[in-house]
Amino acid sequence: MTTDRLLRWCASSYGRLLSMLRVGELHERQAMRHDGESLLRAAQPRGSVAMIATWFGLLWDLFFVGVVHDLRQALRTLLRSPGVTIRISLLMGLGVAATATLFAFVDAALFRPLPYDHPDRLVTVFESSVSQERLREGASPGNILDWVQRSDSFDALTAMMTVSATLRAGDGGAPIRGVHVTKGFFDVFARKPSMGRTFDPAEYEGAASITSRQASSSEPVIVLSHRLWQTLGADPRMVGRSVSIEGRQWQVIGVMPPDFAVPDASAAFWAPWDLRASYRGARFPNGPPRDARFLRVVARLKPGLSIEGAEARLQAVAGGIAAEHPATNAGWGVRLSPLAEEIARTSRLELLLVFAAMFCLLLLLCANVASLAVARGVSRAREIAIRLALGAGGARVTRQLLAENLCTAIVTMVIALALTAWWIGAALSIAPDNIPRLHEVALTGRVAAFAAALALLVTAVGNAVPTLRASRTPIAAALKDGAGVSTSNSGRLRSGLVVAEIAAAVMLLVGAGLLARTFAELQRVDVGFDTRNLLVMRITPDAARYRTGAQTTDYYQRVLTALREIPSIESVAAVTSLPMSAIGSEFTRPFWPEHAPLAGNDAPHASIRMATPGYFHTLGRLVVRGREFDDRDIAGAPAVVVVNEKLARDTWGGEDPIGRKLILDYQRGPYPYEVVGVVRDDRHDGPRSQPIPEIFIPHAQNPYLVLNVIARTTLDPLSVAQTARSHAMRVDPDQPVHSLTTMEQLLGESVQLDRFAMLLISLFAVGGLITAAGGVYALLAYTVTERRREIALRMALGASPGRVKRAIVMESLRLATAGVAIGLVAAIAGSRFARTMLFGVAPQDPTTLVGAVAVLLLVVATASWLPARRAALIEPVRAMRI
Amino acid sequence: MTDKPRSVDHLLPLKPKVLQMLLALADGPRHGYSIMQEVAERTEGQVRLWPAALYGLLRELEKADFIAESHARPAAAQDDERRRYYALTQFGKRVLDAEVRRLESIIAHARTTRALRKASRA
Repeated sequence: MTTDRLLRWCASSYGRLLSMLRVGELHERQAMRHDGESLLRAAQPRGSVAMIATWFGLLWDLFFVGVVHDLRQALRTLLRSPGVTIRISLLMGLGVAATATLFAFVDAALFRPLPYDHPDRLVTVFESSVSQERLREGASPGNILDWVQRSDSFDALTAMMTVSATLRAGDGGAPIRGVHVTKGFFDVFARKPSMGRTFDPAEYEGAASITSRQASSSEPVIVLSHRLWQTLGADPRMVGRSVSIEGRQWQVIGVMPPDFAVPDASAAFWAPWDLRASYRGARFPNGPPRDARFLRVVARLKPGLSIEGAEARLQAVAGGIAAEHPATNAGWGVRLSPLAEEIARTSRLELLLVFAAMFCLLLLLCANVASLAVARGVSRAREIAIRLALGAGGARVTRQLLAENLCTAIVTMVIALALTAWWIGAALSIAPDNIPRLHEVALTGRVAAFAAALALLVTAVGNAVPTLRASRTPIAAALKDGAGVSTSNSGRLRSGLVVAEIAAAVMLLVGAGLLARTFAELQRVDVGFDTRNLLVMRITPDAARYRTGAQTTDYYQRVLTALREIPSIESVAAVTSLPMSAIGSEFTRPFWPEHAPLAGNDAPHASIRMATPGYFHTLGRLVVRGREFDDRDIAGAPAVVVVNEKLARDTWGGEDPIGRKLILDYQRGPYPYEVVGVVRDDRHDGPRSQPIPEIFIPHAQNPYLVLNVIARTTLDPLSVAQTARSHAMRVDPDQPVHSLTTMEQLLGESVQLDRFAMLLISLFAVGGLITAAGGVYALLAYTVTERRREIALRMALGASPGRVKRAIVMESLRLATAGVAIGLVAAIAGSRFARTMLFGVAPQDPTTLVGAVAVLLLVVATASWLPARRAALIEPVRAMRI
Repeated sequence: MTDKPRSVDHLLPLKPKVLQMLLALADGPRHGYSIMQEVAERTEGQVRLWPAALYGLLRELEKADFIAESHARPAAAQDDERRRYYALTQFGKRVLDAEVRRLESIIAHARTTRALRKASRA
């Protein structure tokens, strides 16, 4: 029964294919069908597998008989006009390569699984408080230790903290980033080192933070990143040797593989860390703190456990902890999210948007190629008609064109792959380094397969219409001299394609316009201080050498004094966390005004920064009320703070905060500080960020080891940089002064992803505009040639050249209007998704929309001008005689 | 045309599939499927002709005047109107004849050499 139905289906599909392809003449087709059916029937007793095999045999036979002949013929045809072939392939190859290059980035950042065992079981754990609207905070040491003890959802759970450190190599020092990791780190990520081993459980016990001033007795151990190992000379016998970091000798026990980048590619080494050992003693009488939420926690789920399930279980644990420690944990729960998602989070939208824009451009290219192919099909109608008239079957002609397409596709593929390989290298060198998993971007098999498939697809789509239509070319009409072939149909089709191109170009233009305005707004926004002529550098002294606060304060005072000696430096100061700079100690602590009902757990948080005297003056940040720090504010003097306007407004409303006290729960525990000054708000994390509450503490009253030094210069800051560095180094040649840059550069870096997106989409928009203009031009040029006689007739009957010109331009504008309408609707619908990328401009910004339309209409009118002129120059007598 | 015998030498050797098809038609007219079956049977499945390939070759042979469509059809009961019957032309017979003779001479020559004797002994 089933084989009967299969037989009928196989036979009828074969028959239908035969008549669709118009193989041979009718009799022959029928005979072939008969023979095919006989074969199928002969196979029937042997079962459905034999029948399917026979059916495939028939299809193979149908399509690939004489394929070598077809290919040879196709090559000959293509080589007859190599210019056109290369041009089309190059156009498509460029588009495919650009898309594939972007795909390499998107694939690495968003799609490819993380390079760890069972990456789907890796989750990031956040602490989360709905009532305080702090949903994705890091975790606190105390809570983490409890989670590890009480939770049964994870195979392993680890906490990480990234720190800046100094690598001592030869006579100089280099700043590097190291990661403290707690027990279980290498069980969570489950990667084997490429050399040596990872930490034993015993090696975590008692391991202090690398920047801590606690001296450790034995030589501590570290694992190096592949990159740091290469920097150190790629010694194959590195394991067992020592390196000097932060003024201490560390024994290297292992080297990780190149793609191990935890938490990101900047990590140069991993050191074991014991939370319990780091948070005890006089400073932490209650043991590891629970209200300092700053650690990054990653865990490996037990097999078979869902994220939701694990979250629910850990939530129960967190509930228990909150009940035991209401002062710090009331209202705090946990939130789990997949690690891969967390890594991609920062730039998912930008990447997808850029990719979407690229796809838009690719479609545009496709439409253009299709339009070219239709035109070419029309001009080849005669040739095809002759073939058909001489007895070639429809199938032969179709197959012939298929073979030509295949050749084009192969050429396109080769061009695309070569360009992709080249462009990925080029793009890597200019890509902003905050794109996640940048180090994994490469021309992988997936990317190559994507490029190849896309090349095939683009060729297929571009050539579909003429290929499928060829066998139905009306022979008589095509052979008639001078007549157009199926004009109305292909004309309408090409008009449709041009409308689509214009619509796509409008979308790209609107996107580029919005991003350009965003970027301009970002440049214009007042960040709250003077960014010009500001030199920035970073000093990371050895913790081992500057053990006490007094030593640190003294060191920085001498550095600042040495810098002031330089004539072109007006003033200098130092701070823990600079605006616009991602590096630096960024953390928040709870505070409340004295005598306030709010206290403890419900208290608002403010960012804490330590600054030296003259910081606000040097930065050019206005002190609105009171004073800034000066030489009075030394260790032992009354504890004072400067707050920003946002904090003052939120805490005291309109009242004058000067002289009032606020309680800050920081190093001294809850302790009153007197407010001596209020400074203007700034946009600390870049132009897009909003002002946050800030509290500044005099550096001398809370000495911090690592500071950013800023200097206001009278000349170009970079010209002073080397002098400044050598002056600072003179104080203590062993302490590296590094990361010299200017505030304007930092500002530029903070918007580099915006700049990248804007440049890329502008590039696409220009490409789209050119392609659309080319499409309009080609269509009109073709129409004019085709309608030569008609135009000549009109002119002979009295139409003026101006009128003819106008008619042609109007026709193009008619197409443009349709395309613009479609494009605008799509752009308005689409731009809402990109809302978070915009700044200071609405998604439906009328100026941008009108501007995009105006640019497009202008370009279309220009593109139609040449064909219109050619039409007006037609000489009626000559045109009608031909 | 048949008065003045055309030379056939330049058409030789024939492609293996063409030779098989001409051989299949040597006994009398056949339709496509029957040619296919006959060839498969005689070569023990080594030469298989699928419809599109078969009709491509039939068309070539027709064009070359080796075969012609035959209008002698079997009794209606055994016939299918979709079938097309082909028969060798006079010219086709001569070509086949020449090819077979050419092969014969090759085989005769081969028999006199050691190579074939060895092979036949083995």
